Amino acid sequence: MSDLLPRGRTVSDVADLLAQVARGDRTAFAALYDATSMKLFGILLRILHRRDRAEDLLQEVYLRIWERAGTFDRERASPITWMATIARNRAIDEVRRRQPSAISGDDDLPEVPDDAPGALEAMEQSEDARQLEACLDGLEADRADMVRQAYLNGMSRQELADKYGQPVNTIKTWLRRSLVQLRECLGS
Amino acid sequence: MSDMKPENPDELAGEYVLGTLDAGERADVERLRLTSPDLEAAIRDWESRLSPLLDRVAEAAPSPDLLARIQARLPSAPADEAGGHNVVHLHRRVGNWRRSAIAAWAVAAGLAGFVIYGEATRIPVDQQFVAVFQEGDQAPSFLLSVNLQTRELTIRPVAAKPAGDKAFQLWMIADGLGEGPQSLGLLTGPESLTRKRLPELTRDSIMSATFGISIEPPGGSPTGKPTGPALHGHLLPASN
Repeated sequence: MSDLLPRGRTVSDVADLLAQVARGDRTAFAALYDATSMKLFGILLRILHRRDRAEDLLQEVYLRIWERAGTFDRERASPITWMATIARNRAIDEVRRRQPSAISGDDDLPEVPDDAPGALEAMEQSEDARQLEACLDGLEADRADMVRQAYLNGMSRQELADKYGQPVNTIKTWLRRSLVQLRECLGS
Repeated sequence: MSDMKPENPDELAGEYVLGTLDAGERADVERLRLTSPDLEAAIRDWESRLSPLLDRVAEAAPSPDLLARIQARLPSAPADEAGGHNVVHLHRRVGNWRRSAIAAWAVAAGLAGFVIYGEATRIPVDQQFVAVFQEGDQAPSFLLSVNLQTRELTIRPVAAKPAGDKAFQLWMIADGLGEGPQSLGLLTGPESLTRKRLPELTRDSIMSATFGISIEPPGGSPTGKPTGPALHGHLLPASN
């Protein structure tokens, strides 16, 4: 993830805070929370849909960040990607455990903010994000949307199958092909 | 596992990161990644490929009291009330360490040299790792060395002074070792060498582990978690 950090902090600021947290610095932990919790809560809320569940998980995510801050390596990942990955993994684990293959109809999902970027935000998108969007646009119809639904909303194969009226195995194949295409397009 | 195809770590990693594996498959990947560097690397690659999508996720404000609730659950929270007191003592002690340790870094470097050259005849250097425990930029207090081949862990005091009626306790936070810091036992004393054996863990989880030495009541932490002030360290290759 890129430079879109809240509270005017830079990637390097957040990495420094994580290093201080790794040494057990509680003041740095509060500053880290202040700088990043709205982003992580947004990520959890999109997948879990319920504030109470998202808040429970947000607590666990920050406890895990406290415990594991020492394992963060700024040479290998951006600090926000590292923290967002902990949050996403925890949220996906949670929804997969709760409803292994259950179908959640759209009508029991509360409103989540529409976060399609406006023109200004799109201009401010990071180079990585622009490149990824361009590659997603190159996928066949519906496939980019499927990737976004899975990654951002935590939709399972079964939920995607219901939404797009396709057998689960077809969804599985489409997702795999889409991933191969994306990797080739991104050239890495 | 029929769909897991570990021979194609990239495909598995992609689906894992995308989030479309079911609960059982996710658990399989989380276990496999601990022993498969290829899978681990592929997962990290996919995380960085897809994470730009998160730029678009709208921020949302959690309840204002959530930070306080999290802080109340931090492992050594009870140390906060008495903590100020303990920390002053630790600072004073570290100050003493510093005064008593002339060119302590040189001492640490010398010890590291001892570790490398003293044992290099029988241990490949790439199996040997060290961690330095120090408070801020002050004198290193302990030097920990680990031999990944034998899983032997050695702690040498550098500039540590006796803890008086307190004990030094060694902790480890690592994947696969349970939640939070796990005790590896008490140090035999700041004057002498302590030898311990590392738990059965993968090389990766040992390499990414956090080690801590905390000051505890005699006999060790009464709660099973660190309660006193602590120093932390991470492993670095001894050959660098």
